[in-house]
Amino acid sequence: MSTKVISLVSIGAHPGSGRSRRAEQDARAVELGLQLAGDNLQVVHAGDHRQEALRAYLGMGLDHLDVLEQPEGADVLEVLGNYLRDAGAQLVLTGSQAETGEGSGMLPFLLAEKLGWPLIVGLAEVESIENGTAQVLQALPRGQRRRLKVRLPLLATVDNAAPKPRQSAFGPARRGVLAARDVAIVEDELLADAELQPARPRPKRLKVIKAKSGADRMKAATAKASGGGGKVLKDVSPQEGAEAILKLLVEEGVLR
Amino acid sequence: MLNTLLPILLFAALGLAVLGALRRVRMWRRGRPSKVNLLGGLLAMPRRYLVDLHHVVERDKYMSNTHVATAGGFVLSAALAILVHGFGLQSKILGYALLVATVIMFSGALFVFKRRLNPPARLSKGPWMRLPKSLLVFAASFFIATLPVAGILPANTGGWVMVAVLGLGVLWGVSELFFGMTWGGPMKHAFAGALHLAWHRRAERFGGGRSTGLKPIDLEDPNALLGVEKPADFTWNQLLGFDACVQCGKCEAMCPAFAAGQPLNPKKLIQDMVIGLAGGTDAKFAGSPYPGKPLGEHGGHPHQPIVNGLVDADTLWSCTTCRACVEECPMMIEHVDAIVDMRRHLTLERGATPNKGAEVLDNLIATDNPGGFNPGGRMNWAADLNLQLLSEVKTTEVLFWVGDGAFDMRNQRTLRAFVKVLKAAGVDFAVLGLEERDSGDVARRLGDEATFQQLAKRNIQTLAQYRFKRIVTCDPHSFHVLKNEYGALGGDYQVLHHSTYIAELIAASKLNLGQHKGASVTYHDPCYLGRYNGEYEAPREVLKALGIEVREMQRSGFRSRCCGGGGGAPITDIPGKQRIPDMRMDDIRETEAEVVAVGCPQCTAMLEGVVEPRPLIKDLAELVADVLIEADAPATARAAAAKREPAEVH
Repeated sequence: MSTKVISLVSIGAHPGSGRSRRAEQDARAVELGLQLAGDNLQVVHAGDHRQEALRAYLGMGLDHLDVLEQPEGADVLEVLGNYLRDAGAQLVLTGSQAETGEGSGMLPFLLAEKLGWPLIVGLAEVESIENGTAQVLQALPRGQRRRLKVRLPLLATVDNAAPKPRQSAFGPARRGVLAARDVAIVEDELLADAELQPARPRPKRLKVIKAKSGADRMKAATAKASGGGGKVLKDVSPQEGAEAILKLLVEEGVLR
Repeated sequence: MLNTLLPILLFAALGLAVLGALRRVRMWRRGRPSKVNLLGGLLAMPRRYLVDLHHVVERDKYMSNTHVATAGGFVLSAALAILVHGFGLQSKILGYALLVATVIMFSGALFVFKRRLNPPARLSKGPWMRLPKSLLVFAASFFIATLPVAGILPANTGGWVMVAVLGLGVLWGVSELFFGMTWGGPMKHAFAGALHLAWHRRAERFGGGRSTGLKPIDLEDPNALLGVEKPADFTWNQLLGFDACVQCGKCEAMCPAFAAGQPLNPKKLIQDMVIGLAGGTDAKFAGSPYPGKPLGEHGGHPHQPIVNGLVDADTLWSCTTCRACVEECPMMIEHVDAIVDMRRHLTLERGATPNKGAEVLDNLIATDNPGGFNPGGRMNWAADLNLQLLSEVKTTEVLFWVGDGAFDMRNQRTLRAFVKVLKAAGVDFAVLGLEERDSGDVARRLGDEATFQQLAKRNIQTLAQYRFKRIVTCDPHSFHVLKNEYGALGGDYQVLHHSTYIAELIAASKLNLGQHKGASVTYHDPCYLGRYNGEYEAPREVLKALGIEVREMQRSGFRSRCCGGGGGAPITDIPGKQRIPDMRMDDIRETEAEVVAVGCPQCTAMLEGVVEPRPLIKDLAELVADVLIEADAPATARAAAAKREPAEVH
């Protein structure tokens, strides 16, 4: 029995030119989906079906792509959730963060919450799917992997640890169908009231390399992220735990 | 006896030849339609055969004389033999004429035989080793059989034995030369070759013309094939062209990829296409295989996909599109067209451009340059040069097409040198600045016709807004595309390579030049300037004007060896035994020159990639700028600054 796999895609933007393109991470979600489900992969976008950039996903070898017609600024959470539930999705793949629009990276979390499904962040590889349970590898920093067993249905975000997307070819991109579907439109009240301002680049922590030799540098680059400053808190009350986290955030300058 | 036997043999062979010809024609017709002037082509064919083709063959005097004697003798012998022995027109004059014809053919065939005693590696063996013997037997048999006709020997000399011997000889001769011609024997080249010349897809090449631009796909037509998947996807005259191959291997001897040990041999590729159009395997191929790929493992059929059956993809991606094979081919076969056609299928339909190919194409789509650089940085190289922008001045004498070299720090030196030359000559010029996009050259050679046309159309749109007399560029690839490939999309311009333009400026005494000092210089002809556009003289004139006596490499001019940088080859990067630029550098070292003059950013990059110690690589513009004598003082100060050795940048 094959598992129903659905990839969610968005419109990307090239970081240099700002021109529309397939979103890098979403393309990886499609790639992973194609590797898992082949022609049975279903790909969905919530937005405007006239966006030519969507054809770049079709060019990866899809014969059609479902587009849930949504105006700009609509809250797509509801329609996506309904669509996934109606389609009987077992495994939903998506990029971690959109390259255009709000790009908050919140969608996968909200969607998983709404559907009541588990969410895997940074899916690198699906090793097996048996008896309604998936065994997957989750990407951790510095090339580390964590093996997880998760019951289906599940939602997973992919980032740069997932397989590189295949080339998008002109022929299939031109032939593929962008199938528009009329769905309900929910206004995003939060966005409508919110005030948007351009993001400030977060200050980067200075990294002083003390290594003298190439071997030292290599060691520094590949060492596990086990800093000396960490503290393991065991058997603490939620109150104490929260205070410890808050203290750390203030120390790190994340909160002021 | 012979009087009954010979007509039977002759007409039987001719009949079989006609059947074979019909069968062969049916094979070609499996290809897609192509607009060709059928009758005009046929009428023009003798001239193409005797003049255009002969010009190519004549580069090898031995072979051209041999071929003239053998082929001329054969055509004459065959025609006369049909009259004399077929129709029994046994006049003495015809008899003598036939004797002379067979003697000419025999002497030609002797030289063919001699060359086959110790044949070079590029020649195919197998049935081709039999051909000189067949030619000799044909000529000798008809010579002896005609002696009685001419009255030199009495009829029935030699009795039955003679009849039997001559009968066998004629049988062998006509088998090879008449019906072997249409049933796939070595003589097929004469039959298919003649028709190929008549219905060539680039008729402009005849009569001294040049046609090197790739042919566009009509992307407006949703049913148009996006490249060639199966042999039957070629046009019928392309299939016919493959069939014309004589397997002389001149292409193989010149192919830089073959020499570098990459899995490409143009001759084998064409023969594989012949296998594809007829069906079968390559087990019987009697020439050099693709380096590293044994014979007998590949086969195909007109309606089976070519790649990964008949030919591996890395064979197609090894080609640098340097056109050395096309230039050498005495049959004027279009290898590069075929390779790009098959690449188009791989890129446009299968999304299978290897290595960095996909990334480069994505970059071209998203940023209009292959490196994926921010398009806003296109003019950074000229930040201090105060160049006129065409968007501001609207009209100019010379449009300086900068090219993607604008993003490359090495090439920026060339560009700045050329600007210095233009300013010194007081030329009214302007640049497109941020409005310029990649010309589409690399996308097109990588088979991405869609991206090429997209870029080309946008460039044409931009250019249409302004008025200029000529376009000048330092990049032969942009030069070729603007000059030869934009026309089909509605952009006709007068385009010059900077070497041509500098030569013009020098001829008009617009430049005050000193003399080049010291270092000896050789010149490397870029493929896209030389073979693609026939410009061999201007760069040499410029060097001469600088007081440089060029130390020519053995392979220069139309035989120049590619630097390895064309056709997207550095992007697809198919491994071989050695690197093409290293081989070219060896050619350069042979001249013992200390400086190589180049005229192409690709060549510069490839040759500078060769490890030191090696000769210095300098663009023509840099050499000219170095010896410019400028009148005003601030200019000289700048010239001195320009002479500093550039710092290495990591």
